[in-house]
Amino acid sequence: MGILTTNFTVFLNRIKDANRRKKTMKIRKSIHKDYLKNVSKFVGVVLVVLSIFSCKHHEEEYHKVTDKIKELSKDYHGTSITSNKFLEEMNLMEISEGGHTFLIPERKSQIKSYACTECHTDDLNKIKGKDAKKGHWNITLKHANEETMNCLTCHNGDAMDDLKSLTGKKIDFNNSYNLCSQCHTKQFEDWKGGAHGKKIASWAPPRASMTCVNCHNPHSPSFESRWPAKYNTQKIQERK
Amino acid sequence: MSEKKNKWFSLKLSNKKKVPQDTGSCGCGKKSGGCGSHASTEVAKPVDGFDQVMGATMDRRNAFKQLTASLLVGAGAISTSCSVTSDDAAKEKAQIDWEEQFKGNYKLMSDDEKKATVDRLVRSHQIRTQDTLDMSSKTAEEGVLFGYAFNISKCQGYMDCVSACVTENNQDRNSQMEYIRIHEMKDGQGINFGEADDNYYHEVPAEGHFYVGTQCFHCDNPPCVEVCPVQATWKEPDGIVVVDYDWCVGCRYCMAACPYDGRRFNWSKPEVPKEEINKNQHYLGNRLRKKGVMEKCTFCIQRSRDGKNPACVEACPTGARVFGNLLDPNSTIRWVLENKKVFRLKEDLGTEPKFWYYMD
Repeated sequence: MGILTTNFTVFLNRIKDANRRKKTMKIRKSIHKDYLKNVSKFVGVVLVVLSIFSCKHHEEEYHKVTDKIKELSKDYHGTSITSNKFLEEMNLMEISEGGHTFLIPERKSQIKSYACTECHTDDLNKIKGKDAKKGHWNITLKHANEETMNCLTCHNGDAMDDLKSLTGKKIDFNNSYNLCSQCHTKQFEDWKGGAHGKKIASWAPPRASMTCVNCHNPHSPSFESRWPAKYNTQKIQERK
Repeated sequence: MSEKKNKWFSLKLSNKKKVPQDTGSCGCGKKSGGCGSHASTEVAKPVDGFDQVMGATMDRRNAFKQLTASLLVGAGAISTSCSVTSDDAAKEKAQIDWEEQFKGNYKLMSDDEKKATVDRLVRSHQIRTQDTLDMSSKTAEEGVLFGYAFNISKCQGYMDCVSACVTENNQDRNSQMEYIRIHEMKDGQGINFGEADDNYYHEVPAEGHFYVGTQCFHCDNPPCVEVCPVQATWKEPDGIVVVDYDWCVGCRYCMAACPYDGRRFNWSKPEVPKEEINKNQHYLGNRLRKKGVMEKCTFCIQRSRDGKNPACVEACPTGARVFGNLLDPNSTIRWVLENKKVFRLKEDLGTEPKFWYYMD
């Protein structure tokens, strides 16, 4: 009997223990749940904060410089910097070509012996022939080949003070780029846009660009080969 | 001390307002004048980075560290300024040296502070060499972002740009420092810097070769700026990446970080013959540098901020170089970017250089 009671009490105790354990587990689980909740909240907040502060581009919202240029130039109102003070002394003239308006140097005043008719009063149709004596002894034509060009491709024997187009239309010396552009169409496009040729003095508007004949001698337009302006002897030493 | 709000970097941890420094005491012990270290009262003294250092609250250890460093400079300055034997010029120079020693980072200076340091540098140069300078502290213009384009098919390798750059920017003649490199490349091998020769000396253009120029590309996301431990280099609002030569500690991290070999270091004291010094200078540009600091192309900041083209653009006889304002929709640089087939070097690095290459 005694054994039975003991067994019974043991059994009871076990049930009690199990209950207690269940309860503790429940409490533990709820605590764990709370803990998880808190942790996930914390992690969430940390992530949000990190995403705000850790972005490398925190000062700028653009990832590409092209995006930035596009965005910032939308409401471009110009700047206070102009090229005027650099161009004051120059003899420039405004031209409008293909939607681009800019300044180029005036040409006629720069040609030493202009106007041509001051000397050339004769009919110049003679120089068309090969045997004719060369005028302007220092000028040799190194521009395209003989089949393509001679003096009279550009100069007008009947009206010396102007140039002429391939179809015989008059072209002013000041606008000689119209003559070049007859063949050099690509260069002409690039020049109008600003990809070919040099700008004068300043990057700021108003734009002033050199015209064809400011860099190219029309009678010998290609650049000559020469030695570089610098040679770095120190670099040789350092790299030995 | 300025009543303005603290700048973000400020070391001042307490909110106590310090009394302005006209307590009148200096190394010489006198209350006014005589020693040269007293600021003249009629000139409103600009608040300079001096206060960034002197107004900071710090612990004893740091204070001693700073004191030791400054004592060395101070001792020299005071011994000259209080000396009965040294003349006024020497005293003034000592005063300038003292103030220059304690000035702050240029990036953080107000416009007045910038002007003050430029004035000091000009005066200091005048005392030392009896020569005048024209130094500017002109800030970036709003609505300007500088960009550059280089026409590979036009460059003939004449190196006129290199020569003009050296003269314009007062680069060291002894070490023959050059910001620009022109790389001679073989036709048919593409742009291959490993095989290219950047120090050729023969008649150019050489048969079967083409020429590619490199310099600082003024990246919009510059890695050199990122790595500088003292923030002595930064990107200005107009896109020019500049160096404060007086703040640079010469660690050369930026040199290592630059993927384009755009930066140069002064291993020795830079020397420019007196008659060759370009006197039109900018604090962030071509002013005379010292030993142990970094320098690089600044798009000729002394010229470009004034409206002029950089010296290399002006010197190039072939028109291979285009410079302008990227934000101006009518500028030629914008036309090039929008109408020519442009590319940049190592675009995949995400450095976003503002230096494009194109071909005819």
